[in-house]
Amino acid sequence: MNKNILLLRTLLLSTSQRNIYKYCKDKKKRSKIAGAFIATFFLYALLMGYCILMCIGYGMTGMIDAVPVMCALTISLLAFLFTIFKTNGYLFNFKEYDMLMSLPLEARMVAGCKFLYMYVKSLPWYISISLAMLIGYSAYAHRSVITYPVWVILSLFLPVIPMLIAAFLGFLIARISAGFRKTNIIQTVLMMAFVIFCFSLRFIIESVFKNDKVEATLERTSEITSNAAGIYLPAKWFSDAVTGNSVIAMLLLIGVSVLLFAAVFHVVGNSYRSINSALKSHAASKKYKLSGQKKRSVVNSIAFKEYKRLVGSSAYTVNGAMGEILAILLGLITLVLGFDRIVQVVTNDAPFDHAMLQPAIPFLVYFFIGMAATTAMSPSLEGRNYWIVQSLPIEKKALYQGKMLFNLYLTVPAMTFATLCMCISAKVPIVDTVLYLVLGLALCAFSTAWGCVCGVKHMRLDWENEIEAIKQGAAVALYMLPNMFVVMGLVVLVVILGLRMDHRLLALAFILLATLLAALSYLRVMSLAKRK
Amino acid sequence: MADRSESGKTMLDIQHYSKTYGEGKKAADDVSLTIESGDIYGFIGHNGAGKTTTIRAVVGVLDFTDGEIFIDGHSVKDEPIECKKVTAYIPDNPDLYENLTGLQYLNFVADIFDISAADREERIKKYADMFEITDSLGDQISSYSHGMKQKVAIISALIHEPKLMVLDEPFVGLDPKASFILKEIMHEMCRNGSAIFFSTHVLDVAEKLCNKVAIIRKGKIIATGTMEEITEGHSLEEAFLGDTFAEANHE
Repeated sequence: MNKNILLLRTLLLSTSQRNIYKYCKDKKKRSKIAGAFIATFFLYALLMGYCILMCIGYGMTGMIDAVPVMCALTISLLAFLFTIFKTNGYLFNFKEYDMLMSLPLEARMVAGCKFLYMYVKSLPWYISISLAMLIGYSAYAHRSVITYPVWVILSLFLPVIPMLIAAFLGFLIARISAGFRKTNIIQTVLMMAFVIFCFSLRFIIESVFKNDKVEATLERTSEITSNAAGIYLPAKWFSDAVTGNSVIAMLLLIGVSVLLFAAVFHVVGNSYRSINSALKSHAASKKYKLSGQKKRSVVNSIAFKEYKRLVGSSAYTVNGAMGEILAILLGLITLVLGFDRIVQVVTNDAPFDHAMLQPAIPFLVYFFIGMAATTAMSPSLEGRNYWIVQSLPIEKKALYQGKMLFNLYLTVPAMTFATLCMCISAKVPIVDTVLYLVLGLALCAFSTAWGCVCGVKHMRLDWENEIEAIKQGAAVALYMLPNMFVVMGLVVLVVILGLRMDHRLLALAFILLATLLAALSYLRVMSLAKRK
Repeated sequence: MADRSESGKTMLDIQHYSKTYGEGKKAADDVSLTIESGDIYGFIGHNGAGKTTTIRAVVGVLDFTDGEIFIDGHSVKDEPIECKKVTAYIPDNPDLYENLTGLQYLNFVADIFDISAADREERIKKYADMFEITDSLGDQISSYSHGMKQKVAIISALIHEPKLMVLDEPFVGLDPKASFILKEIMHEMCRNGSAIFFSTHVLDVAEKLCNKVAIIRKGKIIATGTMEEITEGHSLEEAFLGDTFAEANHE
């Protein structure tokens, strides 16, 4: 068998839930795998339903022609974002590097197979989106039969180019970091800077494509997507191939994907060993002077351990602390540009009283702060080192309290800073500012405790790569998805309710609700600590 | 002591190898040593002396700029695949694919080395029986103890009959019987013309097993030669401690 296929097959088999289910003798673990499979099936169904409904909306407003480009752009954007966060951990600095590199395998083969592994693992998400959009598209655009196989085949190639771009950027970041003494810190800073750049790029693109009037923008959605396709050519090739049956466009998408893959992994392969050597090998300091030891309480000591774990892994830092950094940046930008200007930019100068958005300030900040909770990831991140805390004379209650305390150390200062900046900039009265701060605190407490419920309930210690616990774990998905959707809904709800009732009363009601949810989640954590 | 029936061919030749970390610290400094077929070569030194750094460079895992390393006449830098085809590496704490079964993992390594179905079956059976792990090969590696994982790593290293076997602290975690079997296998390999290069802290084992040793301290080789040359009538422990103390006093 070809060694590329052999390696890829083994990589997939090593994390295959089917393989674990087949050979695992632990009934509890097997039922968890079955449960996760059903949950994933529902997530796919939810995603597909959302995409079909979106296409129906486009069809009913006569913009069905924009769907192929929209499909290509959505898949490309997701593929790019999924990959950029995973590059460090999957492509570089992975656990079994020594084992694989000591085998007679070319470095570029190992790197290429690791990339293909990422591709195959995330392909079901992209294909779900693509098939759902094809269903919605075919209901309104009556195309020839050939459109369907072309759409499906090209969907397999759509994620390749953005994934390669993300992988190459990850490679450049790793390459630059490898030249520094503190490789981990440099890599984290570069990755965060890049992610922040990507977030701001969204606004830059919007300001390029959108006119000043919201109504006009909505009417010109079709033009916007074709403008985007003009810049991102693979989306245009996909659209041309499926709508115009263009063989050239089809060959271009396939050909460029394959050639780019070969080119990227030729370059990556050449420096693969040196980069991984730099990322994985560190000389121990020999001049350390032991002094100034401090005694901490058990809970604080666990919180400190969590802090060292966060800063010790660039993947964990980027994913775990990105929300706090974005919240701080939002606060700073609001303070410099002004609350009104930010609202103008985000809403494209929509004609409404900006003061009506003030009650939503705590939720806007929480949108970022609550993006990720370290408590959802850290129980699984104990991994095979779980024995350390298990063998210590501490109760699980103290362990989880320490993890929650660290998340509060991380979120509360960022939330306070961002909320204060926004309130000062929006000239919110002091009483309201205090209420928003208290609401922010309650939301942080909820995020921390709810994250811990998810993290403990869906703890998975047998991961091969920490990214599995940070990005792909059931705990993180369960925490993140409902949290983000609910917050987006709450922003709208609080604005609508704010027009009908006293906003201080509204803030108090939400404080009570968030505190109640936080308390319930905390009690759940404590009961889980007793049970396990 | 190593039983050498076929010897003389240079299997591993390390020439002026140095490894400097980003912090400017030299983990290995001008290391040179030669291992011939039939040699069981012990690599001893205190914690952090540079043993693992040197071993990882030998097996092509760690990048290096200064010096050259040749395996069976091939340069590790320029012909890494040729070198790896004849080498087997067992790290001190092997990271295997935990969710594969022991047999799935061994088949993966056998596939990489292109071992025929008949040969792999014979070798897996032979070594798995020797290490008394045959009954567990159908279980996931994650359910294995440290010693069992070490045994799977050893079997995977032996499956392609390497000319050079490089082991980092191979006896850690192995039960007395498995340690004995591993030593027997090492002797057998040497009789068949292979070479063994391993690091250890257990000086008694090194003394009984090796025909040559190198002592490394702070990245530098401070003594190298046959066991007789190194010990000069004393025990290896006395020689090792004597050498390291002398070196420390000299500094």
